[in-house]
Order: sequence, then C-alpha cells, then structure tokens
Amino acid sequence: MSLPTRDKIIETRAVTKRFGGRKSLFKPATSVSAVNGVSLTIKRGETFSIVGESGCGKSTLARLLVRLLTPSDGAVLYDGNDISALSEQEMRRLRKDLQFVFQDPFSSLNPRMTVGALIEEPMKVHTALTRTERRQKVAELLNKVGLRPAFANRYPHEFSGGQRQRIGIARALASGPKVIVGDEPVSALDVSVQAQVINLLEDLKSEFDLTLILIAHDLAVIRHMSDRVAVMYLGEIVELAPNDALFDKPLHPYTQALMRAIPIASPHGRSMKAALLGDVPSPLDPPSGCRFHPRCPHATDLCSREKPTPANVADDRTVACHHWEKIADDAQPPVQEPPRSNNAEKRFALFRTRSQQKEPTTAARP
Amino acid sequence: MPTEAPVLEVQDLSLRFKGAPANIVDGLSFAVRPGETLCIVGESGCGKSVTALSLMGLLPRGVARVMSGTATFAGQDLLALPERALADLRGDRISMIFQEPMTSLNPSYRIGDQISEIVLRHRPVSRVQARARALEMLERVKIPAASSRLDDYPHELSGGMRQRVMIAMALANDPVLLIADEPTTALDVTIQAQIIDLIEDLQKESGTALIMITHDLGVVAEIADRVCVMYAGRAVEEGPVAAIFDDPQHPYTIGLMSSVPSVGPRSGKLATIGGMVPAIDNMPSGCRFTPRCPFAGTGCETTPALVELGPSHRAACHYAPLESAFAEAAG
Repeated sequence: MSLPTRDKIIETRAVTKRFGGRKSLFKPATSVSAVNGVSLTIKRGETFSIVGESGCGKSTLARLLVRLLTPSDGAVLYDGNDISALSEQEMRRLRKDLQFVFQDPFSSLNPRMTVGALIEEPMKVHTALTRTERRQKVAELLNKVGLRPAFANRYPHEFSGGQRQRIGIARALASGPKVIVGDEPVSALDVSVQAQVINLLEDLKSEFDLTLILIAHDLAVIRHMSDRVAVMYLGEIVELAPNDALFDKPLHPYTQALMRAIPIASPHGRSMKAALLGDVPSPLDPPSGCRFHPRCPHATDLCSREKPTPANVADDRTVACHHWEKIADDAQPPVQEPPRSNNAEKRFALFRTRSQQKEPTTAARP
Repeated sequence: MPTEAPVLEVQDLSLRFKGAPANIVDGLSFAVRPGETLCIVGESGCGKSVTALSLMGLLPRGVARVMSGTATFAGQDLLALPERALADLRGDRISMIFQEPMTSLNPSYRIGDQISEIVLRHRPVSRVQARARALEMLERVKIPAASSRLDDYPHELSGGMRQRVMIAMALANDPVLLIADEPTTALDVTIQAQIIDLIEDLQKESGTALIMITHDLGVVAEIADRVCVMYAGRAVEEGPVAAIFDDPQHPYTIGLMSSVPSVGPRSGKLATIGGMVPAIDNMPSGCRFTPRCPFAGTGCETTPALVELGPSHRAACHYAPLESAFAEAAG
C-alpha cells in the first residue's frame, strides 16, 4: 500500500497468533491459529470495523492491534514503529495512546473502585496532572459521556448497563488516547440504549480526533458507523473494503452469505434465507486451501487445494477468493431496507423533532 | 387473518415479585390462534420472559406471584392449574425453547435419551419407539447424520446444533403451542437465519401456534403475524405485523424503530430514546413511558387504555395518532 506513513496509524504485516500447543504424554501438540497471517493498514482518523462470526478471531486481532496480545509471528506497527517486540515497560508508555472498551460493562469495571477512581486511574499512570486537576478532568469526562459529575462517588453496581458502558468509555478517554478499540461495545445493550452509545462514540471520535477500531457482529451497526470494513472468517480476512462498496456489492461468497442472513426490519422485505449450511469448522483443524470452501456454494477443486491470496480488486479493496470475478456477476442485489410507509416516516420525523426540543434531558437521568 | 378460536388467550395478567412496590407485568392481554406467530417485543426488564414463565407455571414459587388475570388454554386456566396438571401439559401440549441451549440441555445425558425422555413422559410408548421418535425428530430439525448424533452429549454439538436439539425436544409431542424465548439471540447471524427458517418450516408443517419473545425487530419483521410491543410490563401497542411497521402509533414503538441502525445507506445520526427503563421501585404513575417520552404532556399521569386505531391494531397512548395532536411540528 502506498499510503504515506503519517496517514497510517496501525499496520500489521502477516500477523499470526497461535494459542495452545502444549504437548502432553498422550496427545501431540495442538495449537489454534486464531489469527492467521493478517496484513492490514488502519488510517489515522478512520473508523475501521472488523466483522465476523464467533470464533473467527476478530477479538484476538483487535487485541493484537494494540498489543494486548503478543503476536506469535509477523509484526504490528504503530506510527511506523514495530511494537510487537517491545517490553512491558516500553508498552506501558504506549498504552496512553491505545485504549480499549470492552463488551461487558458488568465485568470490565472493578466493583470495589468508585467511578471517579476508575476514571482517574489512567491519569495517575499516564499524566503529570495534580490531584485537583485530575478530579476536575474526571468531572469533565463524566459530563462528556453524558453522566452527572456527582456520579464520581458512586460504585459501578449502582449503574445500568448503558451507564456502565459510558463509564468504560470515559475511562478509555482519560489518558488522552489516539486509538480506541471497541470490542462489541454496544452488543450487550438494549436497542434504545445502544443508539445512545453509538451516537456518543461518534461524537467523541470527532471531538477528540480518535481513530476508532470497532469489533462487531451486528452488520447494521457496522454499516452505520464504519469507514472501512474487514470481514474475517476462521482467522483470516476474506474481504476488506470501504463501507458502502462492501454493502452495495459484496464480492466474497462469505460476505454475500452474511449479508443475506441479516434480518431486515421490514415485513415487506422478508427475504432472509439461510444461505450457508453447516457450522464454522473447528480452527484446530482448518480446511485445506481456502478455509471457506466446505461451506461455499461456488467452491471448486482449486479451492480445496490452494489458498487464495487477497487480490486488489479496486481502490482500497481486497478480496481473497479464486473465483470472485466469476461470481461477482451473479451477486444478489445490495442489502436494502424497503422504504418505510409515509405514516411511519412522518412519525419518525416527528419523534426526532420532539426529542430535540426536549433536550437536554437525554442520557443520564439516575 | 385466522378467525378460529385462540389456542391461548391471556387476559389482564399481572405479576409481581415478592416485596416489589409495583407489578412487573401489569394488565397484559393477548391471544394467539392456531398456526399464528405472535411476537412479543421489548427490551430487558419489560416483563416478556416473566410472562412466558408464568404461563408455563415455571415462576419460582414464593418469588413471583400472579396478582390477577387468566390464561385460557383449551378451556382451562393455566394460572389456576395444579402443578401436576401443568406438568402433564408441559412438553406435551405446550412446549418452550429457551435462549441458551447449552444451559437448557442436561450436559450429562446423551441427546437421544433427552428427547426420548420427553416422549416417554407423555406417551404410552416403549423405549425403542421413543428412540425411533427421537431419531425422526433429529432428522426433522435437519441434523446431519442424525442416527450417529443420537448418542452425542450436548458439549459435542455446536450452538446451532444444540438449538436444533432443543427444537426437536420441544416439538417431539406435536404441541399446539410453542413458546420461544429469544431462541436465536445467542447465535451468529448465519446460524440464526438457519434456525428461523427451520422454525418457520416446522410451524407451517405442524400448524403449531408460536409465541416468539424477542428484542430484535429484524426477527419480528421476518417471522411475525401479529406483534405485541411491551414496555415496563405493559402492552403499549399490538397489531398485525404490517400495521406495526407501517403505521407505528405508540411513541415507544416509534422511538424503538428509529433507534435501530439500518443496513441500507446511512441516513444521518440515529434517533434515541432518552433516559432508561424505569426501575421497578421507581415506576412512574400513569403511562410508564412518560419520563422518556418526547410527546408527554397533560393527561399522561393517568394510565392510557389500548385503543383501536386500525383493524385489530391498538395502542395505549393518550395522544395517538400523534400527527393530529402535534400537527405544528409535522410539516
């Protein structure tokens, strides 16, 4: 890729993570390549999403990107410097820049610390702020994420899931990061709260000039938030493309199947068909050649023999499939929601207008 | 619309947890007819799962109490039946599928035995016949190489396969009513699509009435005939699926639909419903949506009744239809 270095914030080169592999008396060593030779570049300031089903390695990849896991092979570059071999001490300095928001707001906050202490902690480690300055910043951050500064003295258990996720986000922001990775940051939340947190993440991203890396399985959330999307299957990226291009014309058969499986929120669009049979194979014993071939409707002999290399098919777009050109033509029409009825549209608009008039009562009533 | 007598008719159901100051389910009524799919939609804590459990007689004794209401099933009130009679119905005439297939299957029994057990409990058959039925059911839910899977333990199956086994168990005795509580929530999208296809096919074959509890509007649009939207223990809107999506009347339904991101091209920021679901010890009087409702005004401190706004389409809002009450902002 010919991007100037200053536009790349994170880059991976054939990064691989293997788990397990301890030999026992009775069994030969077995190991799982959760992430297998992934190369990608994340641009400064973009929202980059990684999508895939359980076990595809998306969370592992996210952790590798910010060195919460150490790669078994390959390299991860942050701002042009290889961070895959840095010591813990050297990494600690970088943690200031690279922050993480976890999926489960119930288990990712220490229940014995007050909200204020939780948000203050990263500042103690990473900044030279005085105690008063830190307290001030905590109040400021709570405000930013839509919580009352007075909440600083409460404990996490006093808050709902959505509020806890806001606390997690405030904590991630505390060190003044450049990159925030959200590992399914909204999937544990109810729909109405999910929308609040999605909007919050978007606002904060532009306010703080963040690069956002988003891990999600919900394609609608991805469509709404991303600039570019990587689709993963069994530890490998099968397709990487700008958001609209991917949803308008998915090229990889797996991406096509994923799109067809999305339930569309309109009774007039009933079209969901299970396009894929069977389950994801065990990563302990991944299929030969293209890892998707046993479930692929277009698979040929070639696919079981040879692993496809990611081909550059357009600007900023790669797909790893031997037959993508052939199947591109019979790809289904883009995923779309049928237009809503006038009545529905009218009321949605009315709801928006009225909600805006009623601001700022949103977000954080106790 | 089918006009046959309902399989199940729930009227004015109210449930309360011990020591709670308000009902967790409050005056809920709905009906489901043979072959029909009723989706109950709502967010966590709206009372949808508790409702299902109460119908099955599965609410923990001494923890939750039925305050009022009837649930008429085949001429009997489910809420008044003795435990013994309920046990005869469960798994036979009424079955249930739960969200998490791993915790609802017994990890220490082979799946063939678990399906046989449910047949033996309700039918005068031999073990051999029950096992044959188990095999037949595994084939009906399209488990590949079913005969070799009969002797598998649940941990040997994937999440999707386990949910298929749960469905096989639930349908083994040809129930007239199937209650499915978020049956695809724990599954990946491609597997979810498989399971929903399967449930739809089996329902078509058997004519079973289905109550599907879900929070996912996509799933609702895909599978429902009728929809009941619940908020904080009450039905706020109900009607045929097309009416709910094309002519949503209650502010909560409207807010919920506009806060779901679309898979189509992005159209600006998501609308949100401010605030959060009220806690049970802090229930607003009157309409429970009032504190979060952008339309709330005078009158909302009294509880609105469900009012007919279209053919069998009802909503509980003092201001519905909203555009006539708020004409000034509509233009």
